[in-house]
Amino acid sequence: MKAAIELTNLRKEFGAKVAVNDVSFNVGEGECYGLIGPNGAGKTTTFSMMCGFLFPSSGTIRILGADPFEPGALKGKVGVLPQDAVLPASWPVGSLLMYLAKLSGLPNPEKEAREVLDRVLLPETWAVPAGAMSHGMAKRIAMAQALMGNPPVVFLDEPTAGLDPKIAAQVRQVIRDLKGNATVVVSSHNLQELEELCDSTAILDKGRLVKAGTMSEMTGQLAEFRVQIARGPVPMDEVKALSGCRTASLEQNNTVLVVHFDGQAVQPEDIISRTVGLLVQRQVLILGVSRGKRLEEKVLQLT
Amino acid sequence: MNDIHEIKEIWQGEIGRALKGGRVVVLLILFLLFIGLALTIVGSINYGLNGKIDEALQQGQVDKAAAAAQAIESRKKVLSTFFTDDESLLEFLATMPLVLFVVFKLTMMFGPLFIALMGFDQISGEIGPKSIRYLVVRVKRSSILLGKFAAQATLASGLLILCTIVMVVVAKVLNDDFAVGAAVLMGFKLSAVLVVFALAYLALSSLCSSVTRQSGVSLVLNVILLFVVWAMALIGNLVRLPGEEAAFGTLASLKPEHWVGYMRFGSVWNFGQDLLHPEPARFLSAGMVHLGFALFFLGLAHLALRKRDL
Repeated sequence: MKAAIELTNLRKEFGAKVAVNDVSFNVGEGECYGLIGPNGAGKTTTFSMMCGFLFPSSGTIRILGADPFEPGALKGKVGVLPQDAVLPASWPVGSLLMYLAKLSGLPNPEKEAREVLDRVLLPETWAVPAGAMSHGMAKRIAMAQALMGNPPVVFLDEPTAGLDPKIAAQVRQVIRDLKGNATVVVSSHNLQELEELCDSTAILDKGRLVKAGTMSEMTGQLAEFRVQIARGPVPMDEVKALSGCRTASLEQNNTVLVVHFDGQAVQPEDIISRTVGLLVQRQVLILGVSRGKRLEEKVLQLT
Repeated sequence: MNDIHEIKEIWQGEIGRALKGGRVVVLLILFLLFIGLALTIVGSINYGLNGKIDEALQQGQVDKAAAAAQAIESRKKVLSTFFTDDESLLEFLATMPLVLFVVFKLTMMFGPLFIALMGFDQISGEIGPKSIRYLVVRVKRSSILLGKFAAQATLASGLLILCTIVMVVVAKVLNDDFAVGAAVLMGFKLSAVLVVFALAYLALSSLCSSVTRQSGVSLVLNVILLFVVWAMALIGNLVRLPGEEAAFGTLASLKPEHWVGYMRFGSVWNFGQDLLHPEPARFLSAGMVHLGFALFFLGLAHLALRKRDL
């Protein structure tokens, strides 16, 4: 896959503090990519450097082959939802979006502005001053400006932070709709959301890249599954003897069977079906089956 | 071409925002109140003097031409003591009604402060709350700077021209001998002088706003730099340049010679008065100096903004 975003040995210092240290990863074209890490991990700093807001102390960034610090290099190529950036309070939303559309060089600013307000489900805010918006509405307006003109690269910093569940679900749907049409980078603390949305992810901790890879690799979806046991003795020897099984163990007071398998040698659906079949045959009652581990577990394990 | 389009869009947006924001209107009212107060005080003195001259004329103590000539001579004496030794500039200034001259000088003195109050947060007001991030992914940083500078220049020019019109109209009302044609010409000249004069201070305001992310700090910095600009011109003019000639009996002849005099050339304030000079070479060179300072300050602002984290 061709890389839309390339970060090489990126480093950022604020005085004596090193906020980002030797971070390198690529984001493929059309991918939805998550930036994960605890507070102070360097997510927003990395994000801000990708958007051209902060200059790296060393290292390079390429966005669609261009240097984001070259004046005007990102024009029309990138949409950004920055974290904590305040919308100019005195502007009515419609006028603000039209102004930003004009600055982006879009041919029909009013049409673009109205369309994008519809996408974030806020068409009624056209004449309302941006300063009069609630937090959730302001976030969606900020999201709207990032989507105007359908830029090929979209950066979203904490897109659902502080939103109520219903609005957050709507925002997630907007991001889902972007998949395949744009390269999307999402920085968030909401790991469940990232697990659901992203194809790949990078985990940062204390300014360093801890791990980067596809979501399947991160969560072990191609190498691990869990069976929740309700009742009955699990025939461990028979499970371990199944073709493709590497290890099997019981966890959480024998209520969860964890099976690691050789993802290269056997298809997940094949070994999962055979394992469940064996358990049913031996009259073990099961409550559910899940592939891999939660992203949250992986992040907690790595950071 | 793309840059000009970006600058134009920022300029239009900023003008609209400023007019909706209300600060410009409040500042205009304040400045007009200030001018009104100055006009009232100087105008009443002027009115009293004119009344006395009229009284003397009616009693036949002096003839009209002699009174007018004497008034001009006394005005030139005052001006040569407090403002300039330059003969041709004195001739020109003496033709201005006293009320117009005094209030115009006050406007030149306080104009830079007015400009600072109007534009101190043009850039810093966007960096602090990070709203500039919505702009920098769309336009060049230089376009933001120049677009905002152009908007401030447009607004300041409009306000200063309006103030000049008020001054000229009041001066005409108070002085019967100030002919309509002369008043119109004077209005054009003084407006042009104020617009050119304002350029360097507008650019200084842009510079102060570009070097910090806190609006309050940029205002304080701007005011401090204005004092530095005034102080450099003042101190530089307290002495004569080494080897500089001064006619006997003039104010300049009383000043000692010292190299500190060169300090005046580092201050744009020093060249403000020359914008009123009747000789084209003098007012054109003063205009170029103002433009040069404006470009210098804008260049520094661009350097500050180009490489800073936002």
